[in-house]
Amino acid sequence: MIKLDYDGPILEIDQLSISFFTRLREIPAVMDFSVTVQPGEAVGLVGESGCGKSTVALGVMQDLGKNGRVVGGSIKFKGQDLGQMTMEELRDIRGSEIAMIYQEPMASLNPAMRIGKQLMEVPMIHQGMSEKDAYERALQVVTDVKLPDPARILNSFPHQLSGGQQQRIVIAMALMSEPSLLILDEPTTALDVTVEAAVVELVKDLGKKYGTSMLFISHNLGLVLETCDRICVMYSGEAVETGSIEDVFDKMQHPYTQALFRSIPLPGADKNARPLVAIPGNFPLPHERPPGCNFGPRCDYFEDGRCNEDTRIRMAEVAGDDRHASRCLKFKEIDWDAPLTLAETKTKGEVGEVVLSMDKLKKYYEVAANAMFGGGETKVVKANESLSFEARESETLAIVGESGCGKSTFAKVLMGLETATEGTITMNGTQIQDTPIEARNTKTVADVQMVFQNPFDTLNPSMTVGRQIIRALEIFKIGNSEADRRTRMLELLDLVKLPREFADRMPRQLSGGQKQRVGIARAFAGDARIVVADEPVSALDVSVQAAVTDLLMEIQREQKTTLLFISHDLSIVRYLSDRVMVMYLGHVVELGSTDQVFAPPYHPYTEALLSAVPIADTSVEKQHIVLEGDIPSAMNPPPGCPFQTRCRWKSEVPGGLCEKDIPPVRHLADGHQVKCHLSDEKLAQMEPVIKIAAQ
Amino acid sequence: MDPLTWTGGLSLLNYPLMLVAALLLVGILIQIVMSFFVAASTPTVNADGTLTQNAGLMGTIGTGVRMLLLAVIALVVLYIIGGALMGPDAGIVGGMSRQLLPVWIALIVLFAVSIKFKRKLGLYGKLFDSTVGMIGFGLVMFWVIAGVMAGVFDMLVTHDTLSQSSGMKNKLPGTPLRGAEDADYQWFLLGGDNLARDVFSRLFEGAWIVVYIAPIATLFAFMVGITLGLPAGYYGGRLDTVLSFLANLILAFPVILLFYLLVTPEIRATGIPSYMAGVLFIFPLIFFGVLLNSRYYTQPKIRTPLLIVVLGIMAWAYLSLISNEGTFVTNERYTIPGLPAALDWIPMPPEILVVFVSVVFVNSITVFRIVRGLALDIKTRDYVAAAQTRGEGPWYIMLWEILPNARGPLIVDFCLRIGYTTILLGTLGFFGLGLESESPDWGTTINSGRRLLALYPHVAMAPALALLSLVLGLNLLADGLREESLKD
Repeated sequence: MIKLDYDGPILEIDQLSISFFTRLREIPAVMDFSVTVQPGEAVGLVGESGCGKSTVALGVMQDLGKNGRVVGGSIKFKGQDLGQMTMEELRDIRGSEIAMIYQEPMASLNPAMRIGKQLMEVPMIHQGMSEKDAYERALQVVTDVKLPDPARILNSFPHQLSGGQQQRIVIAMALMSEPSLLILDEPTTALDVTVEAAVVELVKDLGKKYGTSMLFISHNLGLVLETCDRICVMYSGEAVETGSIEDVFDKMQHPYTQALFRSIPLPGADKNARPLVAIPGNFPLPHERPPGCNFGPRCDYFEDGRCNEDTRIRMAEVAGDDRHASRCLKFKEIDWDAPLTLAETKTKGEVGEVVLSMDKLKKYYEVAANAMFGGGETKVVKANESLSFEARESETLAIVGESGCGKSTFAKVLMGLETATEGTITMNGTQIQDTPIEARNTKTVADVQMVFQNPFDTLNPSMTVGRQIIRALEIFKIGNSEADRRTRMLELLDLVKLPREFADRMPRQLSGGQKQRVGIARAFAGDARIVVADEPVSALDVSVQAAVTDLLMEIQREQKTTLLFISHDLSIVRYLSDRVMVMYLGHVVELGSTDQVFAPPYHPYTEALLSAVPIADTSVEKQHIVLEGDIPSAMNPPPGCPFQTRCRWKSEVPGGLCEKDIPPVRHLADGHQVKCHLSDEKLAQMEPVIKIAAQ
Repeated sequence: MDPLTWTGGLSLLNYPLMLVAALLLVGILIQIVMSFFVAASTPTVNADGTLTQNAGLMGTIGTGVRMLLLAVIALVVLYIIGGALMGPDAGIVGGMSRQLLPVWIALIVLFAVSIKFKRKLGLYGKLFDSTVGMIGFGLVMFWVIAGVMAGVFDMLVTHDTLSQSSGMKNKLPGTPLRGAEDADYQWFLLGGDNLARDVFSRLFEGAWIVVYIAPIATLFAFMVGITLGLPAGYYGGRLDTVLSFLANLILAFPVILLFYLLVTPEIRATGIPSYMAGVLFIFPLIFFGVLLNSRYYTQPKIRTPLLIVVLGIMAWAYLSLISNEGTFVTNERYTIPGLPAALDWIPMPPEILVVFVSVVFVNSITVFRIVRGLALDIKTRDYVAAAQTRGEGPWYIMLWEILPNARGPLIVDFCLRIGYTTILLGTLGFFGLGLESESPDWGTTINSGRRLLALYPHVAMAPALALLSLVLGLNLLADGLREESLKD
């Protein structure tokens, strides 16, 4: 198809409404939504899950499925109404003029087809290119997305590539026919932070190079800040605020946007002095929206009789700004600069004596080459290499690292699901490294408990909430009778601030945040002294994250629990932890108090991690450090320093030491240790990655 | 007395029925052919947010076909109601309908109650939202109720199933009974077989054998499959390799040959079927023992009495099942004593035991594989990890955390598997394996009717159609359950 020449905006969505029709009722998914994307512009679409942002994208692609329907408004692409087009015309546009990149790269690629063939299909179908030209073009684009050895990549199957490489291929495929509009639906959610940073950098560069307009859908405000020119915040099917990044981030004009920013851990937040403010209440279901303003029931500025009057609220332009609009009746009256009234400042619990200490803990796995009959060569996977640290009472120790760094293995060894290969774990004066969980006494088991990552998986779907907590009490031998345990279970529900009626509910009747609270209640059933929280909030929506995080902190203050907080999200780690341990490929590369780890001198890996985390604050200046390549496999670690394959400081160490020896543990300051060959002078030269510009 | 015609006084309904049925067939054909050419019309959106579907040509045809289908169903119901009212005056159909009156009443009551309370009945209630599920359930329940009434309460049947009546050999359906007393039923409704026995009575008497063996055998197969499949999937490793290899070995062995081997007198004399029964029937004991112990071991006060009562009763049932007339195994060389005959409350004749053992043995392997696969999937969930980290035993995790969450596919498979088992029983009967030759069960009856199939098809046709409708009902029921369980 011949590319259209057109000067106006690439995409104009005007008062779009989309509904899904079920047997019971009409469910409005998007209402009165307008946005314009100019050529070369990147627009971010931000909101919590279920707010309709993906539905907008599907609406643009005219791919709403059987029961979805555009019920009002129009979507114009280069001046043509997409809703009036026939299937054939749409097929011509999809993939050649509008391309889409989805969240899960593996699901977007055909696993039975070589990469090259999949890429070549695009120009061959849309532009009738010859096979030879298409191959040349594929080679060119794969080089553009910065993949090593493009010819080999084109000849491989999707499963032979890593997640980051797969996502680059999906991006390459979208760029094959130089589309005018690229829709990215949470393109990096499934990737690790450092890989995410590299992919985002790539998308930005390519957008500039090809002049493509972008619609970037994400729940992460920081990512949108880094990639987009304009932003549109959505809540419950409506756009509540649109404008340029600077206007919305610094001069927000809608209470929801404000509440959202107050609930994410920005560099200034502190768990005691300035705790996060969670948005009260729950996201309304699409068919249970309140009259008037959708955000009304959760809004601090709610005014009865005005905000809940049953009329549709329209977007209103903010005077003086460039295309900045807000869907709030009161935005002109609200004093947006008023300082946050602090609910309460909390005092931190005293850090007590050492509860848990690990000394040179090692865990190796032997992997047999042939599982069926044993025999064959065995390979050793070094999941943990000499972990040494101490954790004290009422202390939060964060364990940071990307997938494959050995943090889950460490948790398994601590819980007793695996036994250690070498080294010791001492808890309350007894060594437990060689005692599997069946051999541990009830007290020890109840003392170390875990909160899991995925709220939808953490509860048994066929047992009531109360039953699951009571079972934990039974196992921990708490209470003498069924009635005793029921009372205790209700108290635990109180502890995690859930209504007592929830005891008789099934897990499917609870929202994600509520399930996570039940998971926490279950972990504290036996008065646990050490709780391992494995990314407990990463799967939750932003507004719920703050509430669950605060709950954990509050229980910790009351019960003097030691919290081992496993996470890859450095913003939240900075907010709530006392000490931080950074892991890479089974090694502890840096350990120290939060201030020490977040300020130079850093370990080079910590430096890269800090730079990779998107921060939703325009006043923050970040140094851009992009790591090349992927994390090496633990089956086949590089010789010498584990990080040497991706380290940007490697050339600063003389004599190729990095490739020969594993660096020794060096103590820099009191309690601050780093595993690196860099000399003290070089370390001293490091500059802070994050600078907050003076305001 | 004259022989009965098929429809008797209701014969005036025959032509309308034929006409409507023919029209329905033509309508469906047109619908299929047209769907290749006419595109479905897209609904339009109204201003108030409602959708309007334009009927179009396809819509009109669809409505027509639906009306015809309803007309056919209405006519069939008319036959049944008319038959029940008029009795043999409405021919064979009427006679059967009158005879089955208790079944109709029971079915109507069951459906009325179920539909009234369907919102409170969980998955069973949801079945009544699906047409396919309701049809399947209706067919299955028809045979279950009829089987129970005929086999246990001796209702429905018109004549003794074993007694032969002179002059009734191979007589066609509707033939009056020669030399009937006043108290006797006057006709052989579905004719006589080659030993001059009443086909109608044997059909419903045989339904009982099918209806009680198939579900119980399937249940035993599930116990065995679950008890072995869960640890294979959960532990994996060497145990899984060994069990899966054995399963493959048995699956690779021809089933019919296995059955022949089991029923051969020489093999039976060695007591192999009895030993197999001894092994296979102990699995429910293990299953329930482990199930209750893993759940209640933290509370010995509840656990101990509960286990004693449950396992006591089950052990008694087990011993009764495997022993026959006071012995477990008996042959020329040795005798192993079993439960004394006085305490033996489950009569289990050796030939039924063989059928039971073969069916359980063959089915349990497939169940094993299904359960193993489900366990492999579910054991990676976080709630399993949560159970492990609070120190639950492996059997608690398998039976209380994994098994309940595998129930959906297992319930559907259970329904389908009863169908397979029914067919398997039919096959066994057809080959003359297991059950004795005068047994009224459907497989044996089809086999005995097969020899004169060209001359007197009715003897084999009646049980064949019965088998078809029961298995069809079970498959539809499984479909309905699957469909409805996916909706939540």
